Amino acid sequence: MRVKCQQEHLNRALSAVSRAVPSRSVLPITQHILVEANNGQLKLSATDAETIAITYTITANVTQAGSITMPSRLLSDFVATLPRDEIEMTLAERSRQVSLACARNSASIGGMDPDEFPPIPSVEGAGAIEIEPERLREALEHVVFAAATDDSRPVLTGVDFAIGPQGIRLAAADGFRLAVFQLDLAGAGQEREVIVPARALGELSRLLAEAQQPARMTVNAGQTQVLFDLGHATLIANLIQGTFPNYQQLIPASSATRTVVAVDGFKQETRLASIFARDGSGIVRLIATPGAAGATGRLLVTARAEEIGNNEGEIDAEVTGEEAKIAFNSRYLIEVLNVISEPRVAIETSSPSAPGVLKPVGDDRYVHVVMPMFVQW
Amino acid sequence: MSTPGGEGPLPRRIAHFDLDAFFVAVERLRDATLIGKPVLVGGRGPRSVVATASYEARKFGCHSAQPMVQALRLCPQAIVVPPDLARYRALSIEFHNVLRSISPVVESAGLDEAYVDLTGIGDGPGAARAAAEAIRARVRETIGLAVSAGIAGGKTAAKVASDRAKPNGLLDIPEGGDAAFLAPLPMRELPTVGAKLAEALQAVGVRTIGQIAELDVRWLQRRFGSSGATLSERARGIDTNEVRAVPRAAVSVSREVTFEADVTDLDELRQTLQRHAERVGSDLRHAGRRARTVTLKVRWPDFSMVTRSRTVVRPAQTTAELASLASALLDEVFAELGQRPVRLIGLGATNLVEDAVQLSFENAPVLRDERLDRAVDAIRDRFGDSAVSRGRPGRERP
Repeated sequence: MRVKCQQEHLNRALSAVSRAVPSRSVLPITQHILVEANNGQLKLSATDAETIAITYTITANVTQAGSITMPSRLLSDFVATLPRDEIEMTLAERSRQVSLACARNSASIGGMDPDEFPPIPSVEGAGAIEIEPERLREALEHVVFAAATDDSRPVLTGVDFAIGPQGIRLAAADGFRLAVFQLDLAGAGQEREVIVPARALGELSRLLAEAQQPARMTVNAGQTQVLFDLGHATLIANLIQGTFPNYQQLIPASSATRTVVAVDGFKQETRLASIFARDGSGIVRLIATPGAAGATGRLLVTARAEEIGNNEGEIDAEVTGEEAKIAFNSRYLIEVLNVISEPRVAIETSSPSAPGVLKPVGDDRYVHVVMPMFVQW
Repeated sequence: MSTPGGEGPLPRRIAHFDLDAFFVAVERLRDATLIGKPVLVGGRGPRSVVATASYEARKFGCHSAQPMVQALRLCPQAIVVPPDLARYRALSIEFHNVLRSISPVVESAGLDEAYVDLTGIGDGPGAARAAAEAIRARVRETIGLAVSAGIAGGKTAAKVASDRAKPNGLLDIPEGGDAAFLAPLPMRELPTVGAKLAEALQAVGVRTIGQIAELDVRWLQRRFGSSGATLSERARGIDTNEVRAVPRAAVSVSREVTFEADVTDLDELRQTLQRHAERVGSDLRHAGRRARTVTLKVRWPDFSMVTRSRTVVRPAQTTAELASLASALLDEVFAELGQRPVRLIGLGATNLVEDAVQLSFENAPVLRDERLDRAVDAIRDRFGDSAVSRGRPGRERP
């Protein structure tokens, strides 16, 4: 193998694929990146051999085709530090030593047999779904953060994709909150439901940020794997097996109080309160009071830090229904407010111990349900 | 003057500690180039206000709560530093901790100021002053900040004194000298005199605190209502308000028992833990706290001891949670060391946090336990511990 490519291209490819490299593994070769040079292209692949595989292809001047694996960390750190110049990689087939030359630097890195690299599955299935990268990214941003991070219930570490003729309904929940986003797509195809690991989707979001062409999503016939093909990059994930909880029943159908506030003001007050709430359990208390006789109501956002003091902030609110008191974990509020791009959000509540619902005003694609904190008022 | 063993209450010695230009001082710890220069901590927006002005900036007429725009007009060369609340808060906690290390009676009056009751801290008239100096030295040592202090017979005079002691000073008002100290000072130095009140008093020719003291109380009361009477008292150096120490939040709650005879019966050990859990749970609920960590303590007949702790994600408070954690820890100890006679068994709750629990989509049963415990507490508070007890499955009452 003998190949020349640009440092910035290789660097970008390495930082993309190295995200699939597991931090610890029983299989040493998964700490490596597979490098394949062929037909004017350099293809990099990495996988944890469990959940996720990422490939990234860049254009290169291939004088001699070939492939090798190289340790991910060493290669990434080295290439990232090189100057913006052309890099030449030459593989000594017998010794599996790759020499890298860039400007006036050169290095030699020992590789491993590419045949021992875990196979990157090829996912084939009928009816690939085409999605504009920014739309898919928007959908993912609204739900991925709500997925569970501990594996006590594996299905909750994933995002549920309910695919139907109208599009995809994405949902994630961690037992304390639920995020549901409707991604409208004409002709998304037959009804299917798959659970994609949230971790893989986090990586997909990163890749989508620089994608130029529609992403193609393909689920294999056995519904065990999903492929997101972005052209220059692909991400393959093993689907989580199991049944996603019936979350529709967790979304309250009615509410006693509806409080509409400006997202920015609410976020700012919640952040201020969270500074004081940090010592305890991150508790932020909300009190919504309707305005008297047509006047604007208000939302009081408070937090206490024991022995130190407390914080109280007030914002204008349109409050319909009765006065409401409810406490939330500040992190849960801030995380959902961060993804709402509409200027105003509606908070629907019924009692201090019933779920609260947040909906961007004027965008009915998104619903976020948060369980409150049980506190002494 | 009372002497040890003598009659009569000890003369009150109240100290007020105030960190000098707190936010500015913190910024200077971080960036030494700010030392000696006019510094304004605050935002730069059109509606931002000054959070703290350094003494250099104060010379130009800058002060806190002033619009930043105005402050910069007075002192255009001032360096504006955005506030770092998280850092100030962390140092504030350390500041309060230093105060508490000297006296348990500490009342916080904000991030950068607190009252400490030094009454009877030592023998002789200089004892309070010595203690206050020790605190000032320790604050400087631990957090590197200058703190000014005022000592007087009441909180008001102490606060005025600490203000007069700035920067980095200490002013000790002799016993019984509060009124004389306050008398010549401009009335605005009295914390209760705001702009409006000052205007009204100025209209009748009052300029000093002493002149307020000379006004007829009845006139003050008629003119300003009940606050008029308080004002008169404060001006005359009378302030009997206590330094109210916020009871320090409990840091741990525990129960243990030494058996009269060593116990081998697992069932009996579990029941003992259940009783401990009820006590500890009740203490936690009364204190409004929850425990992140539950610790089991076991002493063997040879007096050697083991402890086992478990830290839970969802802070525990109910008797059921505590008992089940304790029981699991006991199983762990026996599984590891083999079952053997126990001399003492204890259950502790540490790592206490505020009384709140994150509800989940599925935790209705937990809430049921919470309500049950509170009902039991209410009955016991009223009728005593034996009024109600928990049934034990599989055991009938004799």
